[in-house]
Amino acid sequence: MSSPTGCRRGARRRRSDLETSQLAIWSLIVVVGAINFLARLSFIALFARREMPPLLARALRHVPAAMLTAIVVPAIVFMAPGVLRLEPGNAKLIAALAAGVVAWRRRNTLLTIGAGMAALWLLQRFVS
Amino acid sequence: MRTHFSRPAFIEGARDMAPITVGMIPFGMVCGVGAVSAGASPVAALAMSMIMFSGAAQIIAAQLLAAGAPFAVIVLSCFVVSLRFLMYSAALAPYLKPVDHRWRELMAFLLTDQSFASTIERFREGSDLRANVSYFIGGGAMLWLAWQLSTIAGILAGAVIPASWQLEFVVPLCFLALLVPLLHERAALIVFATAAVAAIALDAMPMRLSMICAGVAGIAAGVIADRLSARSATTEVGPGN
Repeated sequence: MSSPTGCRRGARRRRSDLETSQLAIWSLIVVVGAINFLARLSFIALFARREMPPLLARALRHVPAAMLTAIVVPAIVFMAPGVLRLEPGNAKLIAALAAGVVAWRRRNTLLTIGAGMAALWLLQRFVS
Repeated sequence: MRTHFSRPAFIEGARDMAPITVGMIPFGMVCGVGAVSAGASPVAALAMSMIMFSGAAQIIAAQLLAAGAPFAVIVLSCFVVSLRFLMYSAALAPYLKPVDHRWRELMAFLLTDQSFASTIERFREGSDLRANVSYFIGGGAMLWLAWQLSTIAGILAGAVIPASWQLEFVVPLCFLALLVPLLHERAALIVFATAAVAAIALDAMPMRLSMICAGVAGIAAGVIADRLSARSATTEVGPGN
């Protein structure tokens, strides 16, 4: 496995991985960019003459809360991939709760970020 | 085309967006840092901000790329997150019918959570459509420019900031700042609880599908909660009649 040819093959594979990932990233930019633009344009221009179906309208109302939760919760309750820590020993969980209180009281993005990062740094320095 | 443009309203829109923009700077920076650490070149990282122009989609794309999720799953996740634009688009559409299609396309490109939230009241109040369109574009242009500058700052700073600062924690905090104010409604709390439990329970799903599934579960719970509360409202009114 540590033969010179093995090493070279590994390097070549890594370089080709990097190239495919650049291609994947640019394809993502184009495809997701187009999806975002079409979603934004949808009722403003593409279906300007149509009414939104009522069920779709009701479902879309819940998209922000549902997706924000689906992004935020795993980022704060898992210490590492697959390691669930719903307990005070999880500094990210406590810092997020502190930030959540600030977000609820002040409704200010910068203050929320500041409070959460300060809490995380303090907890990690002095508690763990 | 000129008929839709009012310079003073454009400048007013840009000026009113400035304080909101300040709150977006850390988020834009994290998008730059995240894209580069997921393997994007600096140019691609900036192109993400210029073309996608959606913090949520960019962060998800970067996180899923870094986690090695398949292309289709990343696109699908970004698609679900972009569904909220349908709602904004539908809310703005009735006011924009008289507007030239090129201006509508420009407005669509600049449509964000922030620009929607800060202008929809003006469109509802009506009055001067030309001024409102210019105001919207002024604010949107301000936000777009600030988004690019903060992404560049993130691309440059990402290499310098030590990992011990845990800058990536800014991402959930940004989303938390948007999420928490939504939770004053009962239906939103049900959506939150369902999506949270699903996100934890489904975390082991392959290909990082847990995010989409948790989001869809939350949306479904919200629709059911609406329906149940509508039904209980009618039964409560029923006997009185």
